[in-house]
Amino acid sequence: MWSSVGASTVAVLRRVGCEVEFDDRQTCCGQPAFNTGYRDEARLVAQRFIRIFEESKADAIVSPSGSCTAMVHHYPELFDGDAEWTERARAVAARTHELSSFLVRVLKTEDVGASWSGKLTWHDACHGLRDLNVKSEPRALILNVQGAEFVELENAEACCGFGGTFSIKYPEISVAILDQKIEAIERSGVQAVVSGDASCLMQIGGRLSRNGSSVRVMHLAELLASQTTDS
Amino acid sequence: MSSRETILASIRSHLAASPPDDQPECGSLFTVTEKVPLVDLFKQSLEAVDGHCVVVQNEQQIVEQIARILGDRPRRIAISDAPALKRLVDGEVAPNAHDIFAFDVGISTAQAAIAETGTLVLDSARERHRFVSLVPPVHIAIVDAQSIFQTLGEALAFIHQNNDISPAVTFITGPSRTADIELTLAIGVHGPQELYVIINEGPPLAR
Amino acid sequence: MNHLSSETFDENAKAALADVQLRGALRNATLLFGKRRLEAARSLSNWEDLRTHARAIKDEVLLHLDRYLETFVANAEKRGTVVHWATDAAEANAIISKLTRDRGARTIVKSKSMTTEETHLNTALEAAGMQVVETDLGEYIIQLAHETPSHIIAPAIHKTKGQIAELFTSTLGMPPTDDIAKLTSTARATLRDRFAAADVGISGVNFGIAETGTIVIVENEGNIRLTTSLPRIHIAVMGIEKIIPRFADLDVFLKLLPRSGTGQSLTTYQSFITGTKRNADDEGPGELHIVIMDNGRSRMLAHPVTRQSLACIRCGACLNACPVYQQVGGHAYGSVYPGPIGAVITPQLLGLEKTAQLPYASSLCGACREVCPVKIDIPRLLLHLRGEIIAHKKNGSAAERLAFKMWARVMMSPALYNMGSMAGRLIQKVMPLSKAWTSGRDLRPIEQQSFRELWKTKLSHE
Repeated sequence: MWSSVGASTVAVLRRVGCEVEFDDRQTCCGQPAFNTGYRDEARLVAQRFIRIFEESKADAIVSPSGSCTAMVHHYPELFDGDAEWTERARAVAARTHELSSFLVRVLKTEDVGASWSGKLTWHDACHGLRDLNVKSEPRALILNVQGAEFVELENAEACCGFGGTFSIKYPEISVAILDQKIEAIERSGVQAVVSGDASCLMQIGGRLSRNGSSVRVMHLAELLASQTTDS
Repeated sequence: MSSRETILASIRSHLAASPPDDQPECGSLFTVTEKVPLVDLFKQSLEAVDGHCVVVQNEQQIVEQIARILGDRPRRIAISDAPALKRLVDGEVAPNAHDIFAFDVGISTAQAAIAETGTLVLDSARERHRFVSLVPPVHIAIVDAQSIFQTLGEALAFIHQNNDISPAVTFITGPSRTADIELTLAIGVHGPQELYVIINEGPPLAR
Repeated sequence: MNHLSSETFDENAKAALADVQLRGALRNATLLFGKRRLEAARSLSNWEDLRTHARAIKDEVLLHLDRYLETFVANAEKRGTVVHWATDAAEANAIISKLTRDRGARTIVKSKSMTTEETHLNTALEAAGMQVVETDLGEYIIQLAHETPSHIIAPAIHKTKGQIAELFTSTLGMPPTDDIAKLTSTARATLRDRFAAADVGISGVNFGIAETGTIVIVENEGNIRLTTSLPRIHIAVMGIEKIIPRFADLDVFLKLLPRSGTGQSLTTYQSFITGTKRNADDEGPGELHIVIMDNGRSRMLAHPVTRQSLACIRCGACLNACPVYQQVGGHAYGSVYPGPIGAVITPQLLGLEKTAQLPYASSLCGACREVCPVKIDIPRLLLHLRGEIIAHKKNGSAAERLAFKMWARVMMSPALYNMGSMAGRLIQKVMPLSKAWTSGRDLRPIEQQSFRELWKTKLSHE
């Protein structure tokens, strides 16, 4: 959704020596529909995703989004009872990686030559953390960003309150949960909050901005692509 | 069709309708527990949950400790029907469900104990101590050192031996407590407010 | 304040969020419970193995629940237990009412049992002319306040000591104090007389052991021991899913339950009750009755995803970990079982019609799954229920259905998707940019140049 995240992802992967292709037929992983209970719609979109990516001869499918990657890993659940599609879903899921997980676990790289000046912290997005076990990888990558001072956020693992359509079905609860995250961010004294999910960044960033805070939100890909000492 | 049949039939038909589930294999739970001195561990565990524990070497010391715990104030004492207690302590033997409320102190033995948690094991088939260990605000329990198990698993095996188990077995770990008001710990609710355990390292109490 | 409905969860939640005192109480309680649980879990090096094992045991039982139940009942009956079967809540209440009436009982003491909350047993017994006294301190407090429990483990967690003190003063004539020790001893003194006078004791059951016909009940206060040993009749109420196969399995479950619930290695008391006393003059009740209740549970056996709901050992850990529960508390759910587990079993017990909001009252963060001692995959269950609600059109929102149909059409067609403005508008229709979002948060505008334009014009050539 945000072009800078995509562009940053491409830049980082190229910088570490990958050949990157982008199939512009792709649209969506289907998560919004799946999470709201619209399985038929989600299934259609999932099948489209699987067909497109099956064709790719790439060694890996990388996504900057933890929740999209988690959705792809959950595809087999959408095809319960259909052996053929379950297998095709499993095959694509096995090749699909979240960015930090790909860099650290597959490419065994923790230093991507990034630099960014300032104090920052990491918010563990729920799907990445709990569905994909992504926890040490982003931290390892961040610690190697030249000039960045990393502090661990209090309750970094606490949900930001987004939850997809939850954020608009139950906006008051969503914001109440969010405010605890905001309080922790303010107490940490950082200049930026980094995360691996655009939805969390939209949620956190939206409240920070509403509060007139100078703290900015940044996607991990944007941080890793940064080669500047400007904050 | 009786309710029993209705429920069982419902269970069977819903299970039959269920698609198969891939169940991961679950390995053994075998763990090696490092052996430790059990009396020390028991005392430590019990004191951590606000119980009191002393160790004695003979029956004379049991009597002394009971006297020390009771102090100067006259107390109405109820004891279980353990022969050793009838011999050592002057008290009413196993008062009934109505009378037990009149007593200040209940004294019993325990059939076993668990060191890792500071737990007493009371088997109602072997001693009448169900009420004396529950109703009076103070409970004094005597347990032989050699009856102390290290782990919960061993104690469970002890109470379920030879495919049999008593009608009522109770595990007791410290005095009664609650955290129902603002999650603040309050000791002494419905069960005893004070628990004293006397560990007998001397010859086991004659039963 | 009380007896709210799941149908108005959104309203209930908003009211709860406005209650500053409640939010403070919830914050403190859930934080503390969570901290204690974590420390207790970490103290056992084989915690993860225990969870896996417990879940495997539960899976085994549930797959053969009929056989295990029959074995349990046969063994219990061999030891003098009278077993009653209740297909639903009404039948359970009727059985217990009749039993107590036939025995000429007038005063009943009760220990905490979520199953009896589910059936509204107290209301039924009072209607039949019995006096029922809750003896668990938290339950006693809410009984005096005419409320329902707001947490599975700590029913009065939403009340401050000040509120409890006021309650005791007005209902028990206690001199004003908010000293917790004094409040507790007031409750103790008041309830002693009830224990002494009670004809019948009613309890729940934590575990029913098939191998021996034993029921196991755990507690800290001592009221369960009093309830189940002083009166001449003990009635224990048990859901069909409480069965575990072997006595030795308790080694696993008694390690997981107290640690997950309160952070204790063991609660103060465990009662292992197997049938009736062997001699008439032994201590204890002369009669033991177990009421085994279905009330919608057997339906959950029909699919592996829903079957795991029945693995729940009612520890309450998921409530404490849930960001939604932490903010709104238990009453908002309008159901006996609140929090994550409540959001999945309430719709299954009561049907989707009136409970359709509950599976959506979650951000799907997965914290519940992480702390569940028997590894119930609650998020997966929530998603399953959401799918059921949409498939059976229980959610009533035609606008949303249309939006997702259109969404799918756009997502299936890159031509449509690429029409940046169209996609943008559609996304904003389905996703944030309603007042629901903007009332609390700003929205970052969708960029002028989309990623694929960037790719086409620049990145693919680099």
